[in-house]
Amino acid sequence: MSFKVTRRKFLQTASIAAATLPLAKVVSAETGFVRDPFTPPGSFEGTQTVTGGVCEMCFWRCQLVGKVRDKKLVKLEGNPKSIDNGKSICARGNAGIKLLYDPDRLKFPLKNVGERGKPVWKQISWQEALDECGSKLKAVQEKYGSQGIAMFPHGASAKYPMDFFEKVVGTHNVSEASFFQCRGIRDSAYMSTFGVAPGESVDMPNAKAILLIGCHFGENVHVSHVKAYLKGLENGAKLIVVDPRYSASAAKSDIWVQIKPGTDTAFLLAIMNYLVQKDKYDKEFVEAHCVGFEEFKKGISHASLDWAAKICDVPAKQIQEVAELLAANAPNVSIHPGRHVSWHGNDFQRIRAHACLTALLGAIGVKGGFVKAKGVKVKGISWPKVAEGGEEHNLKLMADKYHFAPPGTPTELIRDACITGKPYPIKGCVVWGQNPMQTIPNQQRMVDSLKQMDFVMCVDVMPTDITMYADILLPEACYLERYDYIKTGTQWNFADKHQQYIAPRMPLVDAMFERKDEVFITNEIAKRMGYGDKIPVNTLEEKINKELAGVNLSIAQLKKEDGIHIQDGKDPYGVSEDFEVQLYNEDLEDNDYPAVPTYIPVEEVPKGFTRLVYGRSPVHTFNRSQNNVWLHNAMPVNPVWLNDEIAKKMGLQEGDEVSLVNSEGVKSSSKTVVKVTPGIRKDTVYMAHGYGSRNPMLTVGVNAGVDDQELITKMTIDPETGCNGMRNNFVKLVKDGKTLDIPA
Amino acid sequence: MNTTSPQISMANIFRFLAQSMRYPDAEWFNEDFWSVLINLLEELQWQEDKAELTRVKAGSKDFLEDVQIEHTRLFINAIPHVVAAPYASVHYKGDGTLYGIIAEQTKKFYREKGFALAKESDLPDHIVYELEFLAILANEDPEGQKKFLKSLFTPWFEIFKSKVLEEAHHPYYRVVMNLIDFFTREEL
Repeated sequence: MSFKVTRRKFLQTASIAAATLPLAKVVSAETGFVRDPFTPPGSFEGTQTVTGGVCEMCFWRCQLVGKVRDKKLVKLEGNPKSIDNGKSICARGNAGIKLLYDPDRLKFPLKNVGERGKPVWKQISWQEALDECGSKLKAVQEKYGSQGIAMFPHGASAKYPMDFFEKVVGTHNVSEASFFQCRGIRDSAYMSTFGVAPGESVDMPNAKAILLIGCHFGENVHVSHVKAYLKGLENGAKLIVVDPRYSASAAKSDIWVQIKPGTDTAFLLAIMNYLVQKDKYDKEFVEAHCVGFEEFKKGISHASLDWAAKICDVPAKQIQEVAELLAANAPNVSIHPGRHVSWHGNDFQRIRAHACLTALLGAIGVKGGFVKAKGVKVKGISWPKVAEGGEEHNLKLMADKYHFAPPGTPTELIRDACITGKPYPIKGCVVWGQNPMQTIPNQQRMVDSLKQMDFVMCVDVMPTDITMYADILLPEACYLERYDYIKTGTQWNFADKHQQYIAPRMPLVDAMFERKDEVFITNEIAKRMGYGDKIPVNTLEEKINKELAGVNLSIAQLKKEDGIHIQDGKDPYGVSEDFEVQLYNEDLEDNDYPAVPTYIPVEEVPKGFTRLVYGRSPVHTFNRSQNNVWLHNAMPVNPVWLNDEIAKKMGLQEGDEVSLVNSEGVKSSSKTVVKVTPGIRKDTVYMAHGYGSRNPMLTVGVNAGVDDQELITKMTIDPETGCNGMRNNFVKLVKDGKTLDIPA
Repeated sequence: MNTTSPQISMANIFRFLAQSMRYPDAEWFNEDFWSVLINLLEELQWQEDKAELTRVKAGSKDFLEDVQIEHTRLFINAIPHVVAAPYASVHYKGDGTLYGIIAEQTKKFYREKGFALAKESDLPDHIVYELEFLAILANEDPEGQKKFLKSLFTPWFEIFKSKVLEEAHHPYYRVVMNLIDFFTREEL
């Protein structure tokens, strides 16, 4: 380019007339501005407190207030009225602002004009995007049946579209990562034992002893849960932590059981057998509430302390010490049900053992025990069940497997059908708030599943790894910008006055760009698929108002009450007469599963390798928060924990940069650093989950640390539930291009 | 010489530049717009740019879509990453996120001059708004225009422009960057 004319000359040139350059004719009539007489500072510069926020940086959903200055959210705090988290929020909660204003966030509907996995994006209008989603999904439905559509949902905003696809469109092929790769096993196992899903319902503040199997509170931070745990310790509860790693919880423990991964069921069986053999169980409770005690007693009779000690690689004396400590403090003991429990593919049996041990100790409905809070129920408004057809395309029933699966369809059954086309093809895919690339093991199977689809759409707030495989990518308003989920609960400490609360999520600021909420998106797709007459509500605000009307409340009322309605609660303690514990479960027996909790060995670590286990970082919620600039700076990578003696033999030092390779030859795409510590077993390495995103659109999080999920390629499936076991993969470390064997 | 109507005015130039940075759609990114752009380059004697744009357009199967894809890649979301988000606070005086200090300062400046964004939830430091505001100031407040350029526009635009010029695949946005630069530089 050569500047032959200056600006001044250009503007002064008489020959340039409006006729030659009719600039005004080719610009929009409107600008983005309106006249707004200047108001002196003071009236608009003050900071306003907006109530009604409910956090979604993780799934605990703390209640928030937003400090808003001139329409900009400048700070998040806990809602002082909250009887749940109170004024406290965690680091992630604070950093929600950086999600809201993340420039990498999705802003407009995008169409992929490249290929899946290597997208080339083009902004399109909502009209075009919704037309395409509606027509493509309808085409799949007409050609392959409703079962030809699969959905991978996650989070509060995914419930409304999930109900649409299940109840109206009529597909069973919905798989939630929060069930099949996380807590579904726990819920199913407790349902098969207590008849109720447990949540995290243990009365830790009032316990005399707390048993944590793998839970690592302090690294896993849910505010009121951590408060309950710490209150228990403050009140003098003894803490037993079973973990191959010296976790934040292990650091506070009275007994740390450095167990061999995969053997926890053997440990629990030995404790239960010891209690039974030594008559140290709660006979009165067992007699009143337990079914099948004799079969149970017989079924675990082989589990001696020595038997378990050998399997678990811990001293028999320590197992005995744990059993004695629990017995001495029974019934006021919290046997924590866990949360993320899909570990080894033998997990249903382990979680059944948690529940059975709780019952043996009589630790149900009593102070410190398993106690379900008596909260208020707010009935949801959603789609009517109108889909025709019954269970003929239910993959779970067709396979006659996984008879104790949580709701939905086990992920692997869906992926099998996608990849093989049998028993029928699945050709349409809706991903809503989930990132199956980093939540489901064996990423290649996910890629293969998506590549064979006729159509893939994703709805998200961030360009996560899975969004690279979308044909249409829709931007969703985040939790700070929309109405949504109604959080209910009680005060966190049952020793305090019994209260209930109702806190609907209300926007703290307006949604920016062209982001939309789930009701708008789902309704518009429904109209285009011919289901317009089934739409239950027209807006998300209407939905919340209708739901609140069921408890004589409204959004307007909640705003008057600073975002949280509090009312008198009920005493949660006590056990109903008909409460039944299935120590021996006939339904399990009928379906050829062990009816009494049973230890099923897992694969041993091959020579030269080490077992990869993972957990949570206190400043991240998996990959969901990976691109958050504040949280990234707090913990930019996920160091791999390596036993100090092993490190010495390998010549590795703290801070050395390494990559990993697994026993199936899959290499990590990125690198991390070594953390040398005596606080981990020699046969195990550990890292925080949710790092190492490979989507370069996440400019902060891309390739930061290692994605453990990339290395989890070996499939183990829990036989009762169909959930994935994800701690049966073995790795070596690679330094400077050289793969290093792990010494025994 | 009087530069107001029917002659070219700076206000119209800024409105045209703002328009050229909006997401291109068929409603405005049409032959009329194109003809004005080409004539503008002709009047400026930017022959090489004019020739390149004309050549690329002639060789394209779907010129509008080409520019839409480039706009999305440069300014919205892209693989490997968005090149240059068109907001001041991403590039200047902050930690790279939206709605930083300079965005608040920009909004305050609009207010002090008696204007506000029509949609209050929009971000004030988007390049389109800033150019539109320069158009308003060009007519009403030349001194304010100078101040806005110096303190709020030029510092981040220099960084933004460099990123676009370095990574643009399509000549359209290179030309637009150079036009904005040409018409907003303080001394010529």
